[in-house]
Amino acid sequence: MTRALLFSSLLVLTACEPPPVFPGADKRANTVTGRIEGEVVVASAARGNVVLFLYDAARPPPPEGTGRPITFTVVPQDVLFAHAAPGDLGPHVAPYAFSLVPPGRYLIKGFVDASQDFVPWYGVTADTNTGDVGGAYVDPVTRAAKVVEVGVDANQVPIPALGVTVSFSDAARVPVDRPVFQETTGATSATLRSTAIRLLVDAFPIDAEGVYQPAPIFLARLVDANGDGVPDDSNGDGVPDFWPRVVVRKLAEGQSVLLDENDLDKNGVLDSEGVDYEHVNPMSGATIPADGKPDLCVLAAGFDFTALLPQLVDSMGRPNPAPTPVTRLELVVQPRAIDASDPLRPQVIKGVPAGKYAVTIIQQTGQTWRLPNELTPGLGDAVGLPAIVSQSFVVEVPAVLP
Amino acid sequence: MRRLATPRAWVRAAVLPVALLLPLVARADPRVEAKRHFKNGMALIADGKYDDGISELLEAYSIKPHPNVLFNVAKAYEAAGRPQQAIDYYRRYLDANPPDSGPVKEKVEKLEAQLPKPEVKPEPKPEATPVAPQVDEATMARLAALADRLERAVERAEAREEVLPAPAEVEKPAAATTEPTNFEVPYEETVVAASRRSQSTLEAPNSITVISGEEIRATGLFSLPEILRRVPGAEVMAMGLTNHNVSIRGFNQRISNKVLVLIDGRPEYQDFLGLTLWPAIPIALEEIERVEVIRGPGSALYGSNAMLGVVNIITRAPGAGPRAEVNGLVGNANLAGGNFIGSGGDKLKYRASVGYLQGDKYSRDYASGRPDVAPVITDENLGVRSARASLTAFYAFNKDFSLAASGGVNRLYTELYAIGLLRNFWLDGVTGYAKVDFTGGPVKLKFFWNHATFDAGPQYEPIGQRSLVTSLDTNVFDLEALFQQEFQLAGTHLFAAGVSGRIKRVHWGYIGPALIQEVHFAAFVQDEWRIVKPLSLVASYRLDRHPLLNNGQPGYAHSPRVSLVYRPFEGHAFRGAFATAFRQPTFLESYMDIRTPVPGVNGASVLTEGNRSLRPERLISFEVGYRGEAARYGLSWDVAGYWNIVSDLIVLSAVNPVPAAEAFDPQSGSFLLGRSLFSNDGQTYTARGVEVGGTWNAVSGLDFRLSGALQQIVPNTSMAVCGPCTQAPTFKMNAGFVYRTPVKLDLSSDVSFVTGTTWVEREPSAQDPTQIVNLQNPLGAYTVLNARIAYRFLSDKVTVAVVASQLAPNHQEHPFGNLVSRRIYAQLSVTP
Repeated sequence: MTRALLFSSLLVLTACEPPPVFPGADKRANTVTGRIEGEVVVASAARGNVVLFLYDAARPPPPEGTGRPITFTVVPQDVLFAHAAPGDLGPHVAPYAFSLVPPGRYLIKGFVDASQDFVPWYGVTADTNTGDVGGAYVDPVTRAAKVVEVGVDANQVPIPALGVTVSFSDAARVPVDRPVFQETTGATSATLRSTAIRLLVDAFPIDAEGVYQPAPIFLARLVDANGDGVPDDSNGDGVPDFWPRVVVRKLAEGQSVLLDENDLDKNGVLDSEGVDYEHVNPMSGATIPADGKPDLCVLAAGFDFTALLPQLVDSMGRPNPAPTPVTRLELVVQPRAIDASDPLRPQVIKGVPAGKYAVTIIQQTGQTWRLPNELTPGLGDAVGLPAIVSQSFVVEVPAVLP
Repeated sequence: MRRLATPRAWVRAAVLPVALLLPLVARADPRVEAKRHFKNGMALIADGKYDDGISELLEAYSIKPHPNVLFNVAKAYEAAGRPQQAIDYYRRYLDANPPDSGPVKEKVEKLEAQLPKPEVKPEPKPEATPVAPQVDEATMARLAALADRLERAVERAEAREEVLPAPAEVEKPAAATTEPTNFEVPYEETVVAASRRSQSTLEAPNSITVISGEEIRATGLFSLPEILRRVPGAEVMAMGLTNHNVSIRGFNQRISNKVLVLIDGRPEYQDFLGLTLWPAIPIALEEIERVEVIRGPGSALYGSNAMLGVVNIITRAPGAGPRAEVNGLVGNANLAGGNFIGSGGDKLKYRASVGYLQGDKYSRDYASGRPDVAPVITDENLGVRSARASLTAFYAFNKDFSLAASGGVNRLYTELYAIGLLRNFWLDGVTGYAKVDFTGGPVKLKFFWNHATFDAGPQYEPIGQRSLVTSLDTNVFDLEALFQQEFQLAGTHLFAAGVSGRIKRVHWGYIGPALIQEVHFAAFVQDEWRIVKPLSLVASYRLDRHPLLNNGQPGYAHSPRVSLVYRPFEGHAFRGAFATAFRQPTFLESYMDIRTPVPGVNGASVLTEGNRSLRPERLISFEVGYRGEAARYGLSWDVAGYWNIVSDLIVLSAVNPVPAAEAFDPQSGSFLLGRSLFSNDGQTYTARGVEVGGTWNAVSGLDFRLSGALQQIVPNTSMAVCGPCTQAPTFKMNAGFVYRTPVKLDLSSDVSFVTGTTWVEREPSAQDPTQIVNLQNPLGAYTVLNARIAYRFLSDKVTVAVVASQLAPNHQEHPFGNLVSRRIYAQLSVTP
């Protein structure tokens, strides 16, 4: 009995040791992350869910860049405007959170989905429309976008970012629908050979269940960011910077037309493995061997706004600060491929890779539209999206192109 | 959410002195040893060595009293020409009120007529019996020695009778499950699960494994599933300290749902989720008389959910066993527990039990103070805490009419690993039951009510993410009428038929805001036809009416079974069986309606929905088996081979997109990434396997046990990744021994080995959490090793034991489960 007593006492003494932490195979349990918390403050009479997007600060969304959100969260209308009278400008305040955020630097942008037609899963529904109210985490004085940092402590444990306020106001109300377009004849493809092709694209209204863009428009404008009265030429190619912008990007071979090459997971970041092309030294013409890294292959393309110039400048020849709504643009696609994986140092790709290319128009407001998209017949039917033949348009580069 | 108010430190302080003061009685399994002595005795008697044979029989009787032994002793004396002793033992046999009392009384009268002085009444005790006058002196000397031996044996037997029930009651484990005892086969291992009547395991039409109460106690383990590892073909997956998933012959999973667990005929199956909540069982392991495990389909008798097997827990009869028993344990990792069991009564017999158990998890999934994930629970270490009580009563109006009633309640906190994207949950609530059984001749009426009220949710949730905490209230009411009759028609028929109705009511946040009720009906019929002496045919058929089985409308499930048992020699039985079985959709599978937040994407959820058009999971089984024994050598063995065809498994579909117009879900305030629907797997799987098990009572007090199972599961049509195939271990083995030394020291140990598996589980993609992908998680082979050493003293009324469980290297039994690690605890028990 004495021995049992001693043994039992020993057991009790050792009984206080807590169970070890063992996360098993669960990926989330194995990864320690941080979070971002704060409030949304909406000063607007608009009503709708507030959708917040988190971006990598190095990959801002349009119009500053082409980054896609890392994650998003929703502050439901029922929560934010629970006690708001119609027309009440607020401010209306509600908490939000981004959970499981890895350490890094981020941008937060969002909008009040007043049009109540936002669906994040499809390109044709995942953007703002007329009447939506934009917002962001900004400097309260300068209104410039601020970076949110989820840092780490001395033990490399992430530090949550708390008290991050995202502001929305009617000043950022979206004025127009997205730049929905089609090739003017409704064609489903155009072939690029050894010479540039010119395509007319028209604003294309859609009024169907799930996609309601009744009045798309292109907001044309020459950029004069420094206000010197001279159109900017940021890339020094001799062509003034112009809104809208266009990206003609290569599609993944043998995959859905919704997938860009080297971004099969659709996260907007180049895949770790993928197609790599030889480059060319534009000065010497020498071939630069493939570097083993996947390329972001785009075609040299832009809008020929010559015909629009009278509407884009004032009588003094200075760019109009206000954009000019137009319904037709002339797109020029050059038989020249560029690796834009490093936007600051684009590389010329040797030859023009054969395949299909998507055309994306980026509006000054940050709104975008891409062809081909989910309205391509056969793609969106299952989820109730309309099928529109012209929305399957691609630029095709045949294999024989040198 | 509710919590047991008892602080951990307080509990430790309270339990320690209890544990130190209260011992655990270590009982070995006496049946095998008694049988060995009985068989030896009968063989000696057959050889004409009556005295030695009778001595062996009485040795058997001293180990485990059984009236048939007295009968055989009497017969031996009669054959030896000693009518007085024969009369004595026939009278003792008659005291047990056997079914053949009439012929035996006639025999006694005849023997009395042979006595020289028939008017002298025989003494009840053998020591008072005068020596037969016709023997010589040498024989007298031998008889004197024998008489002394017999006296000691009888004393031992009578000493046991002080704590054991009357002989007739020993074979009646519980009023609720009492079936006619086969008086012809003393010490035969009897089961009731296989045919819903008491029968020898040799007669059973299924592969069946019996674990006796003594065997359970000898392990020292506090969790029944851990003990089930010794069942050939059983797959026991410990996710946590008391969170076990048990399957048989493959198809184990988180929330295992294909094995029906019964306690005295009442199902422990939680219909809302489709699992057995093992720590919710409201009895102590010390109350168990035996556990019968049917390895294979059981739907022909038990209906739905008895698809891959049945675990039938039979408790001690009220009034049986020690009048009072107190047990306690305390160990590392805050393991503490104890129970008190009282049993007694005369006409109205009772058994009452209260108990408590708590223990830490083997491991935690998350560390404290993380910046991203916060505990929902107040005690992150706690694995289980259970406070329970139960009462069982039995009243016999006469030989044919009786009433049994029982009830229990369990205040329970436990962990539970859920399905799909969900991980470790907590459950905190109350379970309870009430049960009434009425027996009137060949008719039995049975009623039970099962109840559970829980708060539940993930143990950890990302900070800022919508919570999945929910509450549950469920009630199941069941009424069954059973008729059993034996008759003669071209052989003997043991006929049984029954009808039952069941109402299930579930109110649960995960299936919507409304109370959902289902009404089920069933009928079954079985006939065991003993065509000729060595051959019997068992035919069973059950019809279950389920409210949704016909594409959302009431439909029927048919469960036939045909089994042939051939016993060419005593102690050997060959069987072949064909059976079908099914598992009906659970409430979760039929009605689930939850939006699971996508980890790291607070604006998105995955909608998981039930499906009211599910077909039941089906099993078609072919089985052959051979059970044999060499009782004189203490050997028994069982070999089984099976060929199972499993179809219509209910699985979660891939996450499919929802229509754009329905993408925003106002209920969760998030966008639905897609819908995952419970669906019937279009694949059919074939499971083939062989199971071998054996026991050896090597010498008195020493038992060895060894079993192994080999299986293969393949899809009938090729598939890229076959989860049910890779998740089933190819080989399982269990071995163990129990040694009750003559110096009151008891030793036991068991070891289980399970080969590696690969678990296919869905998880959000690491690169893009909005992509839900199936990942293959390899799990290595693992070994479970348990050992116990105990010392008995004060006439075996006090036992001190040390148990070490999980002595083998730490391991996981599922890729998401706890890291199973060592538990060492002291046990003390007293039977005043």
